[in-house]
Amino acid sequence: MPYLGSEEVVKELRRALSNPNVQADRLRYKNYITKVIRYMTQGLDVSALFMDMVKASATVDIVQKKLVYLYMCTYASDKPDLALLAINTLRKDCADPNPMVRGLALRNMCNFRMPGMTEYIEQPIVAGLRDKASYVRRVAVLGCAKMHSLQPNTEIDGTIVNELYALLRDPDPVVVVNCLRALEEILKDEGGVVINKPIAHHLLNRMKDLDSWAQSEVLTFLLRYRPRSDDELFDILSLLDAFLLSSHAHVAVATLRLFLHLASAHPTVQADALLRTSAPLLATCGAASRELRFAGLCHVQQVMRSQPGLFGTHYKRFFCGYSEPSYIKFRKMEILVELVNDENVALVLEELRSYCTDVSPELAQAAIAAIGRIARTYSEKCLDILTGLLGLKQDHITSAVIQTFRDLVWFCPQSTAAVCQTVGACVDSPQDSEGKQALLWLLGEHGDQISSAPYVMEGYIDGLKTELSSAVKMELLTAAVKMFLCRPAETQDMLGRLLHYCIEEESDVCVRDRALLYYRLLQRGVEETRKVVTGPKSDPSMSVLTGRQEEPISEWDSTFNTLGPLAGCDLCPQTAATSAADQPSYDAEEEISLSLGPPLSHETFEKMWLDLETLHRQTLGFPRPRAAPDTLQAALQLVKIQTLAFTPGDTVPWKAYIYTRSTETLILAELLQGDQQAPGSDESLVVSVKQQPVNHMLLNLFFFFFALYDISLLTSTCMLQ
Amino acid sequence: AWSMSASAVFVLDLKGKVLICRNYKGDVDMSEIDHFFTLLVQQEEEGLLCPVMSHGNVHFLWIKHSNLYLVATTNKNSNASLVYAFLYKLVEVFTEYFKELEEESIQDNFVVVYELLDELMDFGFPQTTDSKILQEYITQQGNKLEVAKTKVPTTVTNAVSWRSEGIRYKKNEVFIDVIESINVLVNANGSVMSSDIVGSIKLKTMLSGMPELRLGLNDRMLFALTGRDKGKAVTMEDVKFHQCVRLSRFESDRTISFIPPDGESELMSYRINTHVKPLIWIESVIEKFSHSRVEIMVKAKGQFKKQSVANNVEIRVPVPSDADSPKFKTSTGHAKYVPEKNLVVWSIKSFPGGKEFLMRAHFGLPSVENHEMEGRPPITVKFEIPYFTVSGIQVRYMKIIEKSGYQALPWVRYITQSGGERRFA
Repeated sequence: MPYLGSEEVVKELRRALSNPNVQADRLRYKNYITKVIRYMTQGLDVSALFMDMVKASATVDIVQKKLVYLYMCTYASDKPDLALLAINTLRKDCADPNPMVRGLALRNMCNFRMPGMTEYIEQPIVAGLRDKASYVRRVAVLGCAKMHSLQPNTEIDGTIVNELYALLRDPDPVVVVNCLRALEEILKDEGGVVINKPIAHHLLNRMKDLDSWAQSEVLTFLLRYRPRSDDELFDILSLLDAFLLSSHAHVAVATLRLFLHLASAHPTVQADALLRTSAPLLATCGAASRELRFAGLCHVQQVMRSQPGLFGTHYKRFFCGYSEPSYIKFRKMEILVELVNDENVALVLEELRSYCTDVSPELAQAAIAAIGRIARTYSEKCLDILTGLLGLKQDHITSAVIQTFRDLVWFCPQSTAAVCQTVGACVDSPQDSEGKQALLWLLGEHGDQISSAPYVMEGYIDGLKTELSSAVKMELLTAAVKMFLCRPAETQDMLGRLLHYCIEEESDVCVRDRALLYYRLLQRGVEETRKVVTGPKSDPSMSVLTGRQEEPISEWDSTFNTLGPLAGCDLCPQTAATSAADQPSYDAEEEISLSLGPPLSHETFEKMWLDLETLHRQTLGFPRPRAAPDTLQAALQLVKIQTLAFTPGDTVPWKAYIYTRSTETLILAELLQGDQQAPGSDESLVVSVKQQPVNHMLLNLFFFFFALYDISLLTSTCMLQ
Repeated sequence: AWSMSASAVFVLDLKGKVLICRNYKGDVDMSEIDHFFTLLVQQEEEGLLCPVMSHGNVHFLWIKHSNLYLVATTNKNSNASLVYAFLYKLVEVFTEYFKELEEESIQDNFVVVYELLDELMDFGFPQTTDSKILQEYITQQGNKLEVAKTKVPTTVTNAVSWRSEGIRYKKNEVFIDVIESINVLVNANGSVMSSDIVGSIKLKTMLSGMPELRLGLNDRMLFALTGRDKGKAVTMEDVKFHQCVRLSRFESDRTISFIPPDGESELMSYRINTHVKPLIWIESVIEKFSHSRVEIMVKAKGQFKKQSVANNVEIRVPVPSDADSPKFKTSTGHAKYVPEKNLVVWSIKSFPGGKEFLMRAHFGLPSVENHEMEGRPPITVKFEIPYFTVSGIQVRYMKIIEKSGYQALPWVRYITQSGGERRFA
């Protein structure tokens, strides 16, 4: 922050920026502009300099231009009236001969987040979509999405949507994927960009040209496509195969997700894909970046829900490095617990034992809990380790061990005797309330097997006045009542004192009520109390015997590679909603495929053509095919478009009338070349479309066909046949 | 909810102050970043730090690099690994520009940082992220606009996106570095818990025009690479090629052919998960006499062939944090106490294969003992062995063909490094 107050600074800067001497010295002038941006970055409000900065945008220095643009974008929404003054400069730059300048100006103009921008940016964007430099087209395509986000509730501009669908065949890969991104944004209320068969196949064929970001996103978009037949499915899978082993982790997992989704009806294919990706997944778990390593571990955990054995032989990969952050160690321990078997149990336990003395208490406790989980299968070995840990006499370790004992006894009743022996010999009592509760539960539940139990409990009852935790008091009440039932002589006196204290002196209502409940219960007699307090329980040991169930892949593949599993919860409930909203798009896509249908008579066509409004007119950017009329006709039939009539030979202007349908809708179109009234059409075809009834989705599809299969190409294939 | 789309990207200092921010999408309030640091501190205190944090609908995905936090905010259920990969890409690009990415270099170069952020991402989507290409039109000197000069580099749209046309060198050379780093983990009982080799072939290309290169490796390595060597011991895992390598060609006839990027690049990397014995074997005895002293004895033995020499060997031995008045005795090299890291660093300039050296250290302990639990960090060993690889990988030839027909020289170097740790209980 500057020493001067912000007002002084702004005044100072304004004086400098408007000083003709400074303006004349380009370097000095630029230094002042840099200063403005620096203050802006530091959070100082320099919006008062807007006018001076607008003036500074008229420069040939491209870095200065960028700085001024950055400034304008930051303050445009605060100063909409002043921002309008900048627009002329920007629009002029949008027509600059240098594509770099055109792109920059267009990008920044679209970043002005203020109402009323649409009318100024629409024309430059549309021009940008047709720019010969791909740099500008990239910017223009995303500009369409920005324009839509300025006025999200206005009607979708069909022309722009059509242009974007057509640009999916752009030679520049970034333009292609930007189109998908933009369409997704613009059409989000209608379920996003439509991925039908031609689009899906087109994208699959372009995959290898895309950079890794684009690949990852295209793979996610393709989740929306459902192949029509198994043949098509397997063609797609074999195209995707190489990407399963992509060197970019995010591409490999995105491919795996798509694989699992597409092959949902072919469990063997899914299993094979999981097997093949296990190596790259393991590699990510050892990635240099710890966040990617973390993401990799989360992916492994999800995969293990269905294929618990997949990583069994690689258990050493999940040993923790000394300097790894806790969030990685936690996940690794969770995985290790799942991978334990007869052969590796000794090594895994030795490893986990070494984490129990970690400097981080949370980590140490997690390691102890992990050993407790393994103890459900390998009780003896684990009990030795856990008992040994009590000897360290560290509060947090003792507490965690006792909590682990409690859970172990609950899940594995056969280990009760051993645990009780240890607890009986253990002198240290835990200091935290979770540990105390666990110990009290053990004393109450198995007091008959722990000879010192009443004396330990007496210590707690004597220290009641200093006990702060209500949960501990509640547990103490329950434990004391249970102990009274099995060792009445030793317990009766202290139970009386406990109930008296809790009913007469305790301030917490819950504790008081619980004490009263036990008091009244005891008044009903010992046998009644025994029936209620030590009644039959469920037998959780069953679940240990039956083992973990392998879950179907469909349980988790919809959240695979999203934020949810990393944050440890289902972050976005809308995931479910999205996939539901996604469902109809398969059906919709079935509907909007084109079909030939019964032929139209010339009269019907003519009548409809005259009655209907032209819905859309577009220059296609390629000339009419120089092919014999019947070849052209055959070519169009390939893409399910019927031909009604042509101008013969090389007559200018050349015209053709074509039509196609899709269930309810009929599309009529006129192709025209060489019309003097339509400028620019002397080279390329102009297509005008009418529809009955209007269906924008279908129109998009129609244009996509036209754009994708350049008619000249089609005709040449037909001639070969 | 399908796309990646980061809403905004922030660079923060260690106190949580925003140094740089770029609002790409405008759908998340920029002041949300204030919650980031509060959450971070809170989670750190609870010992439950996580690379994804959420406040309401806003998710923060963050990484830490030197004294900076790089944070992406999003309100979508994004593809997480992609966002992290992008943040690391930012680190990579900034590092190539500023050598060191840290608070100071961000402050000094904030204009270039903004320029880069503008090209790297638009509306929350990654755009041009290749630093070689970015360097063609964004420079630290700041380029003056002269219409003919500053045009979009052809590489932005080139078929060969990683190399521009018209590169010229007086002397055409290419340097090939084969670097293997071995990681060995030894437990207290002296048994090897895990070991692997991470290898990489790095190029420094100083060649004119659009040269076609072909790299020949020894057969044993090629078999290991393609996994056709099922019976033998070595198989490579996780083989990654630079995007310039024609993978289809490699798969069909095992030829590594490519048009190289100019300057430095990593052509390929691999990992071999195999049993390797530690190249420098460490044995240690640490005796702690409470309230009086600690005595440490470390023995190091070079378990590699006699003709080779390990250079710049550093053996780092942890000592209790309350130790004082160090005394050392070494049979070679010298030992130094680094109290701020609770370490003794024993450095040996050159360590021939087969030799054995000793170091003894003596520390005093205070009479009032430190009761805090201390972690038991491992002894770590660092070294470099030139002209040697553990895997036996060898470059057989490098063919360089350019249409102008110039003669070019390939140079090859081999280095083995350690990345290993050894621990004791």
